[in-house]
Amino acid sequence: MAPEQSPPGVRIRGLTVVYRTPAGELPAVSGVDLDLAPGTITGVVGESGSGKSTLALSLLNAVQPPGRIAAGSVEIDGLGDVVALGGEGLRRARGRHVGYVFQAAQNSLNPLKTVGKQVLDLGRSHGVENPRGLLADARDLLGRMGLDGARVLDSYQHELSGGMRQRVGIMLALVLNARLVVLDEPTTALDMITQATILRIVREVHAERGLTTLVITHDLGVVAEVADRLAVMYGGRVAEQGPTREVLAEPRHPYTRGLLGAIPRLVGDIGEAHALPGRPPTLADIPADGCVFRERCPLRMDVCETGRPPVVVSVSRSAACHAVRDDDGGRPAVAAATGEEQA
Amino acid sequence: MIGGTGITKTFRQRGGVLGAREVPALRGVDFAIPKGGAVSFIGESGCGKTTLGRIIAGLETCDSGEIVIDDVAMSSLSHRGRQPYFRRVQLIHQDPYSALNPTRTIHQALAAPLALRARQTGRPRSWADERARELLGLVGLDPGYVLPRYPHQLSGGMRQRVVIARALTVDPEVLVADEAVSMIDVSLRLGILALLKDLRERLGVSVLFITHDVATARYIGTDGELYVIYRGQVVERGPVETVISAPVHPYTQALLSAIPVLHGLESPGEQRVVPVEASGEHPDGCLFAPRCPFRTERCERERPALGRDGDTPQEHACFHPERRSVVAVPVSRR
Repeated sequence: MAPEQSPPGVRIRGLTVVYRTPAGELPAVSGVDLDLAPGTITGVVGESGSGKSTLALSLLNAVQPPGRIAAGSVEIDGLGDVVALGGEGLRRARGRHVGYVFQAAQNSLNPLKTVGKQVLDLGRSHGVENPRGLLADARDLLGRMGLDGARVLDSYQHELSGGMRQRVGIMLALVLNARLVVLDEPTTALDMITQATILRIVREVHAERGLTTLVITHDLGVVAEVADRLAVMYGGRVAEQGPTREVLAEPRHPYTRGLLGAIPRLVGDIGEAHALPGRPPTLADIPADGCVFRERCPLRMDVCETGRPPVVVSVSRSAACHAVRDDDGGRPAVAAATGEEQA
Repeated sequence: MIGGTGITKTFRQRGGVLGAREVPALRGVDFAIPKGGAVSFIGESGCGKTTLGRIIAGLETCDSGEIVIDDVAMSSLSHRGRQPYFRRVQLIHQDPYSALNPTRTIHQALAAPLALRARQTGRPRSWADERARELLGLVGLDPGYVLPRYPHQLSGGMRQRVVIARALTVDPEVLVADEAVSMIDVSLRLGILALLKDLRERLGVSVLFITHDVATARYIGTDGELYVIYRGQVVERGPVETVISAPVHPYTQALLSAIPVLHGLESPGEQRVVPVEASGEHPDGCLFAPRCPFRTERCERERPALGRDGDTPQEHACFHPERRSVVAVPVSRR
């Protein structure tokens, strides 16, 4: 049933999103470049205030006031620059071209309507001419995700478990045959076993339907399980990006290293794990100049105070850090010199 | 020392035409929290771990069974008589945002319980201020910075530290931390876990850690005990490192198998257990049998009790216990 044409690619360039506050307009996302290659799963990982959710909303040009996209472009194959889209064109694009599974999708269903009714509403608002066909598609999708499709369509939100609702959210994002799908925190508030099931489903549906998928999460583990490529965001900027396995095996940006070292693991010496000092910046205290991570960085240098870190690119990876050199394969110069490496 | 035997609790949901429905939350749980020890309750939402924590903190009563605090059976006391005992157990909620009154400064939040404490112990009022600073220092905060501020001016991690400091105002013997780090930013979680471990070591306070994230349980202390709870029954119990590295109950194995693998750094365990997606239960059978990939006919007829067999260091409730390597192992690096 999947359409024949290839999945869309996305090119985000110089994206800056600002929020109006009493202290002036402050950037939640600042000069972000990111490509979503056709047919891949990209994971964007970041803590609170990293700008990851704002970035995801920008893909739909759906940043709400007091926020606005101040600069940059989001080019989606088959749609053009969504930043320039507006009105009816934008409304059609949402759902048809870009499917969105919202954060806490478990709680975003209409409690007063059955799931089937909500599918029909969605079809009507997008001018679907064959509602029966749409319901059949919805049933098949739910069936594919291991649910009794007919029964779920007849159910109200409160009759479904968290994991079932999350699958309904994914179905609603895909039922209009969107080929670009954004999942914002797809497993937050789900149990471990349910999370593992949802992540497996995301991978399978992605492959079967030929999608381009963006997963937004605070959990590096989630990205590690599903994503081909990984972008780590901090303070509204992309700190590091590259193929997931390579970044996890050999992180270059000090923030990525710190984050990896702060995850409790099941095996190994627990003495090696440490929390990062300080705390993530909020919109109000993101430094305007220099590196946004410097307050917490073990490799802090004078240049980090004033100069925006250069994006050091090597082959398929990049890191935005003054301490990372491209001549030694992108390792932090200081860490490499002092031999401060994980074993 | 606080312990319990045979704790049961059933919630009655008001139903429609069919009348009330009974939902067993705890089915005869035994536990013991040694002085200065670390105990973790692990399980999925709805397994009863939070209810058990609330019963231990005196916020909920059990239907049957007995809670014993410092050799005194709580059932032998009046409601009033129990209060001083349950005050020794302090609950730390998951959400540090709602646990603090947004209209009160941190100073005000700590002053009230400390002033009461000063009266109770016959100390001067000035002691309360001094103690507030001392407690904030103990939880790793700068009193000068934190005291005049309101909760919204602090990060989630700082707020959770304030909540812990407030719990310490009554000199508790046990801290019950219910999903205490799940709403904290990832880079800061280990700091809170390290703090709880530190409080054990420095103050001798016991920590009861309630979580769905098995890995965090190790960071309260590797000497701790782990209780794996499934639908109100403890299905595996033993030293934390044993249960994590050599689990024998298929449910424990399923939980551990579900933890995301950091591909590139780790490779998945070779015998990962994926539970069957099923609902319902066998009235007399093993509670996990409907989802268990290893169930036999006996499991559907008979419910295994928690016990020890052979020389395993842990107890389990399974007719067919078997060690499986389910946990991801670090990729060896040069």
